Amino acid sequence: MRKHLSRVARGGARSSLQVIDLFLHEVGRYSSTLLLLMVFCVETGVVIFVIRDLRAADHEVQRIYAGSVLGLRGIGELQYQAQETRRSTLYALTTNDSNLQVEYADQSRAADRRVTDGISDYLAHARMPREVDVGKRLERDWSAYLKVRDEVLASILEGSTKEAVDFDLAGGVPSFDRVRQDLEEVKRLYDEQASQRLAIVDEASRRSAGRLVGVLCFTLLFASVSVWAIQRAKMLSALKLAKLQMDFVASVSHELRTPLAVICASAQNIADGVVEEKEQLAKYGSVIRNQTRQLTELVNQILLFASAKEGRTHYVLRPLQVTQIIDAVLRNTRETVEQAGFTVEQHLDPDLPEIIGDSSALIQCLQNLVGNAVKYGGSHPRVTIRAFVDKDHEHHKAHDHHDDEVRISVEDRGIGIDSSEIPHIFDPFYRSPVVAAAQIHGTGLGLPLAKNIAEAMGGRITVVSKLGGGSVFTLHLPIRKKSRETMTVIESDSFTRP
Amino acid sequence: MRRVAAVLIIVTAAVLLLEVLPNAVFHAAGAPPEAEPAEQNLAIIVNQSNPVDNVSFQELRTIFLGERSHWPNGRRITLVMLEPGQPERKAILRTIYRMTESDFSRHFLQGLFTGEVFVSPKTLASPVGVRKFVFNVPGAIGYVRATDVDETVKVIRVDGHLPDDKDYALRIPARPAK
Repeated sequence: MRKHLSRVARGGARSSLQVIDLFLHEVGRYSSTLLLLMVFCVETGVVIFVIRDLRAADHEVQRIYAGSVLGLRGIGELQYQAQETRRSTLYALTTNDSNLQVEYADQSRAADRRVTDGISDYLAHARMPREVDVGKRLERDWSAYLKVRDEVLASILEGSTKEAVDFDLAGGVPSFDRVRQDLEEVKRLYDEQASQRLAIVDEASRRSAGRLVGVLCFTLLFASVSVWAIQRAKMLSALKLAKLQMDFVASVSHELRTPLAVICASAQNIADGVVEEKEQLAKYGSVIRNQTRQLTELVNQILLFASAKEGRTHYVLRPLQVTQIIDAVLRNTRETVEQAGFTVEQHLDPDLPEIIGDSSALIQCLQNLVGNAVKYGGSHPRVTIRAFVDKDHEHHKAHDHHDDEVRISVEDRGIGIDSSEIPHIFDPFYRSPVVAAAQIHGTGLGLPLAKNIAEAMGGRITVVSKLGGGSVFTLHLPIRKKSRETMTVIESDSFTRP
Repeated sequence: MRRVAAVLIIVTAAVLLLEVLPNAVFHAAGAPPEAEPAEQNLAIIVNQSNPVDNVSFQELRTIFLGERSHWPNGRRITLVMLEPGQPERKAILRTIYRMTESDFSRHFLQGLFTGEVFVSPKTLASPVGVRKFVFNVPGAIGYVRATDVDETVKVIRVDGHLPDDKDYALRIPARPAK
C-alpha cells in the first residue's frame, strides 16, 4: 500500500482526492471495520484526555475548598484564643479569691500558648513575603501584649487592682488592638489569596470548558470525516465491483461472440455448399467442434463460479493419488496445449503420498493453472509441472503451523506478473491492464476458482512471479493422515468478497 | 463484770475507729496506705525572675513578718501562705514566725493598722496554688514541701543551705508515733 501511495505521490499529476481515494481503497480492502476501530481508538484517547483534565480541575477545586475551610477555621481559632487570653486575665479582676485568680491566670496562659503555637504554625507555612511580614509583626505584637498581660496578672494576684487596670489601659489595650489588627490583616491576606486561587480555578474551569468544546467539535468533525470516508470507501468498492462486472460482461460477450461467429461462419459455408471437398469439410467440422468445446468450457466456468458464489458447491473429499490427478489434467488439456504449440514437462517424485481432496475440483483447479500457463506463456512454449513433498517441512511447521503437504507447481516462462498485480490476481473478475491491453482473452475467474477449490480442500495457492520471467503457481495440499476419515463432504463458502 | 464488758466494748470500738476504718477508706479509694515520712523539708520558693538566691534566716523572718516591702530589684514582695491547718503552715508558724495562728492573725492586723507591716499575706488552698501564684507574680515568696517543687519556681537557700542539706532549718516534724 505504501508503494502505491508513494507512486501516486511521485506522479504529482493526480489530485489529493485521488490519493485519499487510493488510501480509502486500500483501507476498504481490509475492511471498513478497521477504519471504525481507528475512529474508536482516537475517540477513546480524546475522551480519556478530557476526563483527566476535568478530574484535575475538580481536584484543584477540592484542594482550594479544603484549604479555605481549614485556613478560615485556623484564623478564627487564633482570634478566639487571643480574646480568651485577654478575657481570662480580666476575669481575675472580678474576684479577691487568690485561688480563683490563679485559675484564671492558668486559663489565660493556656490560651496564650495556643495563640503562640498558631502564630508559629502560620509563619512556618507562610510563603509570600507579605505573609511572612504580617506573621512576624503579629508575633512581635503578641509578645509585647503578653509582657503587659504578665504585669497585669501579677498586679491582680498581688491585690493591686488599680495598678492592674492602669497597666491594662496604658499598655494592654493598645497592644491588644495591634494584635487584633494584625489578625485582621492575616484574615484579609488570606481572603485575597483565596480570591486569587478562585480566579485561577475559574480560569482553569473556563479553559476546561474551552477544551471540551474543542474536543466535541473535533469529535464531530472526525466522526463526519469518518462517516464520509466509510461511505466513500463503500462507494469506491461498489464502483470497482461494477467496473469489474462490466469488464466481465464485455469479456464474456467477446469470448462468446468470437467462437459463435466462427461456428456461424463455418456452418454458413457448409450450408452454402462452398465447402465441397471431404478434407475441407473435416477441417470445418474440427473448427466447429473446437469452438464449441471452448464455449462449453467457458459456460462451465461461469456456472461453476456462480454456483460457488451462492455456496451451492459440494465437494467430496477422499484419498487421491497425485499422479492420477495430474494425468487427468494433462489428458484434458492436451489439445489446448498442443494447439498452442506448447510442451509439458513433468517432474513428479516417485513416492508421492496420497492427498485428501475432491477429484474433479482438483482437476479443474490444475486445469485452470495449466491453461493460464499456456495462455500467458509468451514466446517460451514450455510448461513444467512438478509434484513433491515439502522438504522444508519443519520450517513451515514452526512458522505457519501447516501439516505435511504435497506441492504441485505449474511453471511457465512467459510474460510474468508485476508485483503490484499479485495481490489482485485472485480477485474475481480482475484482469490485469497489461493482459487486457495485449488482448489476451479471459474472464478473470480462473484463478479465483482455483484458489477457492484449494482452500476448500484445506490447502492454498501461492505464486512466485517476475515480470518478463514467467510465473510459478503452486498448489499446496495436505497429505492424508492414516487416522483421518476417508470421505468428507463440505460446502464451499468462497467468493464472499465482491 | 458489766464494767469489764463495757470497757472492752469501748476499747474495741476505739481500735476499730483508729485502725480499721482509715485503712478501709484508703483501700476503697484504691490507694495503698503509704507510710508517712519521718521528716520532710520545706522549700522557700520565689519567682524565677527574682535575682535573690540566698537569704539569712533572719532576713527570711523579716520578709515573712511583712516588715520588708521590696526585693533588691524593686519588685514588691507578696507573701503567700497556705490555709490554716496545713502541716506546712504549722511548720512555718513554728519555725519562722514562732507564733500560733491567733498570734499570726493579730500580728498582721495590728501591723497593717499601725503601718509596721507592709505586706498582707495571700492565702491559697494547696501547694499547687502556691506554686502557680509564685510563678505568676515576680515578687512573690512562699513555701511548699521540697517534693512539691518544680521548674516553674526557684528555691532559695536559707543561710546558704538548700532543703536537702543536713543543716537546713525548715522541716515538717514527723507525726508522733502511735
